[in-house]
Amino acid sequence: MNHLSHEELIDHVYGEGALQVAEHLETCADCAQAGRALQADLNEFPSLAALEPDTAYTERLWSTLSPQLVPYAVKRRLWLRPAFWLSLSAAVACASLIVSAFYAGRVWEHRYQPRSNASNAHLPAQQKIVVVVLSDQLDRSERLLVQLKHASADDTEMLAPMRDEAQSLLATNRKCREEAEKAGDPDLTKALDHLEQLLTQLANQPGGLNAAAISKLQDEMDAEGLLFEVRVLRSRMPDRQQLKGGAA
Amino acid sequence: MECMSQSDHAAIRAVLSGDKDAYADLVRAHARSVFRVAWRITGNEADADDVTQEAFLRGYRKLESFQSRANFGTWIYRIAVRCALDKLHSRYSEHERQALEASDGEAVSVQVADHAPGPDQLVLSGEIAAYREGAMASLTPLERAAFTLRHMEGCSSDEIAAALDLAPEAAKQAIYRAVQKLRKRLALLRVRT
Repeated sequence: MNHLSHEELIDHVYGEGALQVAEHLETCADCAQAGRALQADLNEFPSLAALEPDTAYTERLWSTLSPQLVPYAVKRRLWLRPAFWLSLSAAVACASLIVSAFYAGRVWEHRYQPRSNASNAHLPAQQKIVVVVLSDQLDRSERLLVQLKHASADDTEMLAPMRDEAQSLLATNRKCREEAEKAGDPDLTKALDHLEQLLTQLANQPGGLNAAAISKLQDEMDAEGLLFEVRVLRSRMPDRQQLKGGAA
Repeated sequence: MECMSQSDHAAIRAVLSGDKDAYADLVRAHARSVFRVAWRITGNEADADDVTQEAFLRGYRKLESFQSRANFGTWIYRIAVRCALDKLHSRYSEHERQALEASDGEAVSVQVADHAPGPDQLVLSGEIAAYREGAMASLTPLERAAFTLRHMEGCSSDEIAAALDLAPEAAKQAIYRAVQKLRKRLALLRVRT
């Protein structure tokens, strides 16, 4: 083993040397001499008895320190902290916003849902019957108008039933028009009035339905857009099943 | 690490609950050990007193970060070592070093025969102490603190490293350098005498 380094000797003197260092010092006179010299030098710096403060020192120290110490604030409970209330307010605001949006959506849905559904629920029973009759009237009128649109003088089998149907519809149509007039529905009144004129001509065509009469009626129907008008009115009518359920 | 006393623990809890006067118990219990290490590192009473005050002030302010499993005595001791090191840094300047080296030159002229005790040495013991202090003053603040903790406080390398916030090897190197410088001073003195 080589001679010990200065660092190894220092560690040894302070009790942190490796075991091999101690063994080496027992066998190597030079290193042992170096170790003794180091120890002698360090002894020149004796571990002096530290200056001990007098008995009143700690009290003097405390009297100096005390005015400089700020007491620790007692930790406030969670619900006393401003941050807690800020967070809670934010959470409540968010929740309110969500609830308001949900409620507004529901109100909007109820207010702007199809008129037919809205009206159904609040119609009195007698008015519901009128609506059912009108719906049925328009339904039958539409079918008759479709037949008229495609009718020809050659199709004699169809002409008589068409005239009978027109006669059948005429009385009900008049009644419905009066009801519409009373209810103050000008669009419906006007459409039923047009329909009534056509039904009257169809039911009471002098000399029966011939080709010229059919052609004339078809022209009037097209000119007034009667079939289209009836279809629009039909689309405004509430669902029949609903009306029947509501009336019941 | 020794267990912290129950009274220290109770005092810390009281302080953190707003009772600052409870800190007086901690000051009374640990002021002497703090003052001692401060005096050994700084080398004078006035600085040691300043360091002790500063250590307890820092300790109070950082008490919330104190780990309850640790030992308050060890914790405040380490704070005191760092305060002492700061103190050394603040007074350590090139001008002072030069002044001390000049005074060392005067001290070298003192006739010290050898290690055997004699009347001359006793007469000159005060000057020898001054020379010794001059040698210590030639160390950097870190070397002086490390050497003091090692040589006078009997701390291990790991404890010194922890107290000075160094890696263990860096703490050892500081000690090696300090011992080397001090021995050179002594050798110079012996040659001249």
